[in-house]
Amino acid sequence: MATTITKTETLVGKRIRRKEDPRLITGTATYVDDIQMPGMHHACILRSPHGAARIRSINIKPAINQAGVVAVFIGKDIEAVGPVPCGASLPGLRVPAHSILAKDRVYYVGHPVAVAVATDRYIARDAIDLIEVDYEPLQAVSDPEKALEPGAPAVHPEWPDNTAFTFHQEGGEPEKAFKEAEVVVKQRITSQRLVPTSIETRGVVADYRSAEKNLTLYSSTQIPHLLRTLVAQMLGLAENRMRVITPEVGGGFGSKLNVYAEEALMGFVAMKIGKPVKWIESRRENFLCTIHGRGHVDYYEIAARRDGTVLGLRLKLIQDLGAYHQLLTPAIPTLSVLMMPGLYKFRNVIADIVGVFTNCVPTDAYRGAGRPEATHGIERMMDLLALELKMDPAELRLKNFPGKGEFPYLTATGLSYDSGDYAAPLKKALDMVDYHKLRNAQRDAKAKGRLMGIGISTYGEICAFGPSPATPAGGWESATVKIEPSGKVTVLTGTSPHGQGEETTFAQIAADELGVSMDDIIVLHGDTSIVQYGIGTFGSRSTAVGGPALYYALQDLKAKIKKFGEMLLESDDVTCSGGQCICNKTGKTIEFAQIAAASYRAMKLPPNTEPGLMATHFWEPPNFAFPFGAHIVVSEVDRDTGQVEIQRYVAVDDCVNIINPLLVDGQIHGGVAQGLGQALCEQAVYDENAQLITGELMDYALPKASTMPYIETGHTITPSPVNPLGVKGVGEAGTIGCSPAVVNSVVDALSHLGVRHIDMPLTSEKLWKLVRQGGQA
Amino acid sequence: MKVGGSYTLPLLRQRAHELLQDPAILARCMPGCEDLKKIGPDEYEMQMKVVVSAVQGLFAGKVRITDQKPPESFRLIVEGSGKVGFMKGDGLLTLVPATVTTGVSILGSEGTEVRYEGDVQVGGTLAGVGQRLLDSTAKMIIRKFFEKLAEAGAETEQAAIVP
Amino acid sequence: MIPQNFEYSAPTSLKEALALIAKGDAKVLAGGMSLIPLMKLRLAAPEHVVDLSRIADLKSVHEDGKGEFPGGALHLGALATHFEIESSALVRSKCPLLAEVASNIGDVQVRNVGTIGGSTAHADPAADYPAGLMALEAKVHLTTAKGERTLPIDQFIVDALSTALKPNELVREIIVPVETRGTGFSYQKLAQPASGFAVVGVAARVRKSAGKVTFVRVGVTGLAGKAFRATRVEKLLEGTSGSAADIQKAAAQAAEGVDANTDLHASADYRRQMTKVFTARALTQALSRAD
Repeated sequence: MATTITKTETLVGKRIRRKEDPRLITGTATYVDDIQMPGMHHACILRSPHGAARIRSINIKPAINQAGVVAVFIGKDIEAVGPVPCGASLPGLRVPAHSILAKDRVYYVGHPVAVAVATDRYIARDAIDLIEVDYEPLQAVSDPEKALEPGAPAVHPEWPDNTAFTFHQEGGEPEKAFKEAEVVVKQRITSQRLVPTSIETRGVVADYRSAEKNLTLYSSTQIPHLLRTLVAQMLGLAENRMRVITPEVGGGFGSKLNVYAEEALMGFVAMKIGKPVKWIESRRENFLCTIHGRGHVDYYEIAARRDGTVLGLRLKLIQDLGAYHQLLTPAIPTLSVLMMPGLYKFRNVIADIVGVFTNCVPTDAYRGAGRPEATHGIERMMDLLALELKMDPAELRLKNFPGKGEFPYLTATGLSYDSGDYAAPLKKALDMVDYHKLRNAQRDAKAKGRLMGIGISTYGEICAFGPSPATPAGGWESATVKIEPSGKVTVLTGTSPHGQGEETTFAQIAADELGVSMDDIIVLHGDTSIVQYGIGTFGSRSTAVGGPALYYALQDLKAKIKKFGEMLLESDDVTCSGGQCICNKTGKTIEFAQIAAASYRAMKLPPNTEPGLMATHFWEPPNFAFPFGAHIVVSEVDRDTGQVEIQRYVAVDDCVNIINPLLVDGQIHGGVAQGLGQALCEQAVYDENAQLITGELMDYALPKASTMPYIETGHTITPSPVNPLGVKGVGEAGTIGCSPAVVNSVVDALSHLGVRHIDMPLTSEKLWKLVRQGGQA
Repeated sequence: MKVGGSYTLPLLRQRAHELLQDPAILARCMPGCEDLKKIGPDEYEMQMKVVVSAVQGLFAGKVRITDQKPPESFRLIVEGSGKVGFMKGDGLLTLVPATVTTGVSILGSEGTEVRYEGDVQVGGTLAGVGQRLLDSTAKMIIRKFFEKLAEAGAETEQAAIVP
Repeated sequence: MIPQNFEYSAPTSLKEALALIAKGDAKVLAGGMSLIPLMKLRLAAPEHVVDLSRIADLKSVHEDGKGEFPGGALHLGALATHFEIESSALVRSKCPLLAEVASNIGDVQVRNVGTIGGSTAHADPAADYPAGLMALEAKVHLTTAKGERTLPIDQFIVDALSTALKPNELVREIIVPVETRGTGFSYQKLAQPASGFAVVGVAARVRKSAGKVTFVRVGVTGLAGKAFRATRVEKLLEGTSGSAADIQKAAAQAAEGVDANTDLHASADYRRQMTKVFTARALTQALSRAD
């Protein structure tokens, strides 16, 4: 009966290998493309090759006449399907009608125009080559600043200024701060468009059972429940007749925090043809049609006193939105504005966002979503100020942090930083690199003509999304814990982990709370018919919001266990821990598994207690969480070629309590890799006709394992009251801290040539030109 | 993408200009040209099968000649589209008398330098995945065109001289 | 990323393969590192793919004392993979430059599958091998159902992605000289960060005698539409003492008179300058290895 092994060791805080890994590294995990069904059909989507064009006519006959092709649908066939939803609302936001297939016009290269459905994927692919579309190409615009110029081609003819929204925020007295400033530093800083490039592209299988009117949608998504609610709405289905299953997801990085046209389209197709249908996105489509990240042109001004005290910050932010709003598109730059002061005591800030339509695929959340851009901006500006004042950049930063005693610290943008000691990770990072010695070494190197630089960034992060009033669709999270009659434990989480490792970390938490072995715990997620409603995995929220939900569910369950323990031990002085209840008077014990069996057998129940052992908790976070940290990069630029070598990379993060250091390090490493990608090599380039010319991995440069530096990680722990586990979030920290540290180090390496700023990516040719021209770009 | 360069033909300027307007010659010299039909003054319809290594693309398009200043210059606009993408080339060709330094010319050393300068726009799959090779392939195609033109020119000169 | 329908043959003998390609509109598949992506993108849609991978004859790597070069030759079967060439004890000892070039190609996965014959026949202007083959004055052994011929590499590669290969012809092997004792060598490359192709790649071979540089060969890839031998550099360095200044002076000519390529990764100007830098680096290392 008692199969549960009682354990005494605490698991939270241990480097434990992931429970997920065996299936992933042995190739036995199930992804969307692994799903096979009897009678399954395959869909292939015809997409616009033009950045902007009018569709004069579409002839589907040659395609539909092919053997094996069962249907071809175009824009006029999907009139009844609702638009692709935008969940963000801003005052005066212009929302273009975003139908799942183009109607009389295409707005970006990759815009879906038709879908062909066939008995196999080869026939479906052949079929789209046979569809004849007569396009009248129109002038397109891909550069957001050019799109704002008078006379620029209008992305949406109804809004010739290409402006989707403007957004203003200010705090304190910015005008006064700038008037009184002893020094003002200005710089235009860009954060280029990036392609999220998850290893697994998107994919959907839709299965409609007409007799039951049930639609099951398998999708590689980060938000199964929201997807169900929104796609059911688009298709006019009863939500309770729709089920979303998220099999294994091979990476998302925010790109799957969305509701895409194809998800509704496959539901529509399955309902029309009465057969299951599969669509798997190709890598080309992934580049062209899955959201991109970043896409900022920022104009910064910083006001300060000569002693380095920062006074005011002004930002004009131009956000390249692309042609449409995806789920959160317009909201992303508002996060940049919230975080624009970074960790510094700017009491006076003013920001204006212009959201600009371009003939490009929409931008949306990509690892960090708005915060890497903001951190890049403020950290570059702090270095520019240090340069202007001839101050050490570390000293300037330390001078402007709020003190330990000032928390909770209210920012000029209206956030309440819950807890922090911002000097701690910076000081730790400075110690790790032996900063003063390093500066001496740099002086020696430069004297010998070597271009060595040291770059510092500190970052604050808004994560644990988030208090519901501040989010578009609820910011709480849910957990259910069941102890099965045999004593085995099942955890259901509303988050949707896809590589983060919550099957392990949540099992660690549950194992500690219940005193059972991790092997007796299973964590389930990503199936709307199994898991109670949840919000999903994004914004460094799974552990920081999903974790406390689990914690409270465990407390409820433990209370119920105690009631059963008291009844079964016939005592009111019972302690429950270590997988058993013990009567403090008699010393008699009873295992949780025995209690579980008794609770389901229900021969006798404690007063006012239901049978069974299950508890569910929906947890609403009182605030965001604000982890922070510091990165230091030592780099050297090859004078002859402009190539950058990262010689040291130090990352110190304060995400408070660490549940599994192995996974935290993994998140930092992965985050830094993506930050290095932005800093050094990645860029989505649209040409002036809005053709994406880095449309494949042959031309879009991702960082590779062989080019990664060794990353030295460190941690500080500053207790936080924000949740009972004392956890913040770490999924995006590496990315957020990285790019400014890298660029600051390279600018530092070239500063004696008069270089003040370099826009990313730091390609070798760009740096070589700066070296050759003595700093003049 | 900007393209520019020059090629010296062993032909007199007048003759070089004539050849560059002759649909039969153009059809023969444009790499992969399978059909060229005159559809109006200085306007042609064209079918092309471009083969570069394993890559092959069928293009249907138009060739237009504008801004005629015979025999000095003209503007050439070539547009084509196919399954693998579409392209539009717009360039100014200037013909300058020159001395032929290489190759054999029955005219001795008199020749014409054809300078071209223009812009090529490429779209579709070709633009998305072909960036790395567009420049070198465009140059190769232009080079081949002029080589064939020189060849054709030499033949026609021969025919004109030999009774 | 789904190719068009095609007929597929996997002959087991060279004779069979030659008969198949003689029928026309067949594309030959060696390692597939260029052809397969083109087919998946539908930029290439051959009616018929003839896969050579089962022809054992084409995989042989061997030495031939009396072969094509006075000091002996290495014969590299067209299907020898980059990894096989990079790791072959024979190639590493007899023609170390080629092994060094092979080790710089793409990534591990590409090197495990890509072949020297496939790469040479594809004649990508940024491929690594051509730089080495030019510096080695390699020969390409071609075969048809009717006969055989051997072409020097600089006659085989005609232009960007264009070779002297006829439609009914196959690359049978690449022939390189057995390196003379004391020859120094180096391959230096600026890799394009996305694909790993050479922005520029420079292969050098040098010999010294009595304090003088007696022999220099330099092959350059990536700069122009096709790889070439930088003969001006060779001539300038030969007869000098091979000092740093001599190297710089010679390397400065590496891109002279060449119509340099431009793409989104590197402008023509940058490519030209990098050709000089990497030529100097290759010569410097080659000289340091010569004795």
